[in-house]
Amino acid sequence: MSVISITRPTNVYDDEPSDIEMSDVEESGELKKESAGESIVTPGELVTDDPVWMKGHGTYFLHDQTYSSVAGSVSRVNRLLSVIPLRGRYQAETGDHVVGRITEVGPKRWKVDIGCKQDAVLMLGSVNLPGGVLRRKSESDELQMRNFLKEGDLLNAEVQSIFSNGSASLHTRSLKYGKLRNGIFLKVPSSLVVKSKNHSYNLPGNVSVIVGVNGYVWLSKSKQGASSTTSATTNKAQAAFDSSSSGYNPGQGSVSITRLEEESSWEIYSDKNESISNSVRHTITRYYNVIKALAFGELGITEQRIIMGYEASLAYEDVGSLIDKEAMESICQDVINSEKMRG
Amino acid sequence: MGKDIDISTNQEHFVREALKLGIRTDGRSLLESRKPIISLSPDLYGFVEIEWGLTKLAVRISAEILQPYEDRPFEGLFTINTEISPMASPHFENGKNTDDEVLISRLIEKAIRRSNALDLESLCIVAGSKVWSIRADIHFLNFDGGLIDSACLGVMTALQHFKKPDISVNGEDIIIHSLDERQPVALSILHVPICVSFSFFNPGAVEENIKGDLNEEISIIDCTQQEELLRDGTLVITINKNRELIQISKSGGLPIDATMLMDLSSRALLIAEELTDMVKDLLKKDEQERYKKLNLKMLQAENSR
Amino acid sequence: MELYSPEGLRIDGRRWNELRKFECRINTHPNSSDGSSFIEQGNTKVICMVQGPMEPVLRSQSNPNQANIEISITIANFSTTERKKRLKNEKRLVELKATLERTFEQSVMCKLYPRTVIQVNIHVLAQDGGLLAGITNAITLGLIDAGIAMYDYVSSISAGLYDTTPLLDLNTLEENDMSTLTIGVIGKSEKLALLLLEDKMPLDRLESVLAIGIAGGHRIRDLMDEEVRRHGNLRLSKVNV
Repeated sequence: MSVISITRPTNVYDDEPSDIEMSDVEESGELKKESAGESIVTPGELVTDDPVWMKGHGTYFLHDQTYSSVAGSVSRVNRLLSVIPLRGRYQAETGDHVVGRITEVGPKRWKVDIGCKQDAVLMLGSVNLPGGVLRRKSESDELQMRNFLKEGDLLNAEVQSIFSNGSASLHTRSLKYGKLRNGIFLKVPSSLVVKSKNHSYNLPGNVSVIVGVNGYVWLSKSKQGASSTTSATTNKAQAAFDSSSSGYNPGQGSVSITRLEEESSWEIYSDKNESISNSVRHTITRYYNVIKALAFGELGITEQRIIMGYEASLAYEDVGSLIDKEAMESICQDVINSEKMRG
Repeated sequence: MGKDIDISTNQEHFVREALKLGIRTDGRSLLESRKPIISLSPDLYGFVEIEWGLTKLAVRISAEILQPYEDRPFEGLFTINTEISPMASPHFENGKNTDDEVLISRLIEKAIRRSNALDLESLCIVAGSKVWSIRADIHFLNFDGGLIDSACLGVMTALQHFKKPDISVNGEDIIIHSLDERQPVALSILHVPICVSFSFFNPGAVEENIKGDLNEEISIIDCTQQEELLRDGTLVITINKNRELIQISKSGGLPIDATMLMDLSSRALLIAEELTDMVKDLLKKDEQERYKKLNLKMLQAENSR
Repeated sequence: MELYSPEGLRIDGRRWNELRKFECRINTHPNSSDGSSFIEQGNTKVICMVQGPMEPVLRSQSNPNQANIEISITIANFSTTERKKRLKNEKRLVELKATLERTFEQSVMCKLYPRTVIQVNIHVLAQDGGLLAGITNAITLGLIDAGIAMYDYVSSISAGLYDTTPLLDLNTLEENDMSTLTIGVIGKSEKLALLLLEDKMPLDRLESVLAIGIAGGHRIRDLMDEEVRRHGNLRLSKVNV
């Protein structure tokens, strides 16, 4: 039985608001061809009826036929056939550097929202407590868990393992992980974060950023900032650190562990912000808006691009004007152009 | 529904395996309905008890004279009260409407009230000021599946059985004659809707159901509580003897093939015919018996004079 | 008022087997939800936003075996010509909600997301017939946009019967005057996930109404698929830049 239907002609889509990306697709002609080659599949579509393929994520099968269960692109790794969805919640993988927020303090564990399908777990045993690595966790530690991390606290951590039900287990057993302060939080789609070796960068302007693989971003004042406004507490920590590195005998382990033991004082669980100068605050907001703009333009977020975006944004004196759509678009365009210039 | 009733995995497995072989735990075949026992009250009009397997319910029809709605001055009022109390089964909570309860009451409402089974215009006494208001109260006494089927049958039987007292209109005044004074009048019923619920079970994997072309889905009629808790999907067809579909409701659940739907609806028609005739016979018998009794009473009255 | 003229034209000038203008967009609210969609089926307009799968707020919402789908429907007061306050727990809405939840529990691969909840928020902006159908289509697109695994599309359409002619995709005027059958079809199959008939229809006509409904559902699926592909390819091209 036939059905008549009327739709708008497809070229109407060309004057969509996000046409900035459209135009730039046309410019990079060869890339477009490439992407057109591997078109996407949609739910219920037959991907293959060849029985040699192993069925991975995003697929289901009946007899020999493999169907897609999500809209996305087909990925073939050796014999494993899977469909990677275009969008979707962040899926934790072991080794990912993530930023999270404590949602619940439970028996011997914290629940952490990392933008996953389920909250991740941070066991009391997988954090560094004041007093060094070799310290055993006692019952009193269990009682004062809220003094270390409480609901709403932000932290960065590494995914230690994935449980069979899909939820993640985190750890903060390194100096670079732990509670976050001195900055602001920002969320971008996790699909935009490009995975790399390192996810925390020191940016020009005395600002550090942690771009969590889960799309949670933390912008803060740099730690070893040589600015004149370092507080007394940091000075003390710095002093303690200096004395230890000179006085401690190597041989017990690597340098990082010795530092760990000394710096793992209550200091790392402090809630107090250091004093942050106005100029640093301004720079932080500028970076904040730059990352927002990159996310708006759906560009992958890398250290390079953040810095390039920052440079491009300097054309706008007022940080607040960066939230205009035109400003965001032009920043994205600048980033793409300068990337092209570098090749 | 079954908030506190859990069926063990073992038992679930057993029921499903048996269904695959075409056997149900109570020995019926897949498309065999339990036989409802309808008992009419010998002295009251419009009081009916239905026993459908272990499911048991009572329906009482009552009538009073009220003012009609302003926008519908020529129509009488008809309400169906379908509150399920914990009496039926401990997992119905008092005053708390779960989704299932809402679905049940909506279905009965649609099957009987919205389909105009009761002629509302015949209930009008004085346009705009006085109409009959008919109220059906369903009391669920015990629950073993098939609430919709039995409630619908109960209400329809009771409506056909009910007689409202005769009245005479004198200008604005209305005289209601007692049952002894004048013969009461039956309601005007336009058609008799019968609900038939089917339950579906998926014998294989979900993938087979969605993509395969075996169409092996098992459908059963009139399931018990246990089967109701385990089923993968349900379909309620309301149909009358005149080959009119009154409503079809398949609120989600296991997808079924269109040909299966056609098959099931013609099956529903057979059941509807059977039940309508059964109710008709029963009412006729009841009528005769009442007539006999009445005659006897009249004779007795004469004798005592 | 003539609903179907002898020349074979309907009140809005369509033929019996003609759909109304069907427009859909996905990813309309990329920042406020995991998946979102907007559909226009004639003058019926529905926004759908999907959150999740995510950690349930209440323990009682979590099921150790599969995801829970929760649908909430908000019908704007201005969606019909008559403005009236609608109660959230109106029986009709509760029925609609339960029907949709049960439909999508079967077509979403809930088993993949244990202990989570998928929250679907529906906002009906304008109503002109085919409400259930519109909402169903919007949810399908929203779930696909959220990257939630589904067995296949669920596409839905209403069909009615005028005298002996089946009519496809009814608007309000037609819906008020004839019996309406809303069906939800799984993908390109003839499997029915959803069926709702609320008024009388002769048994012998059911088949013809079903047939046009299924055909209409398949067409809707194609239109939705087109949009998903358009959006997907656009997205892919951006990622590859």
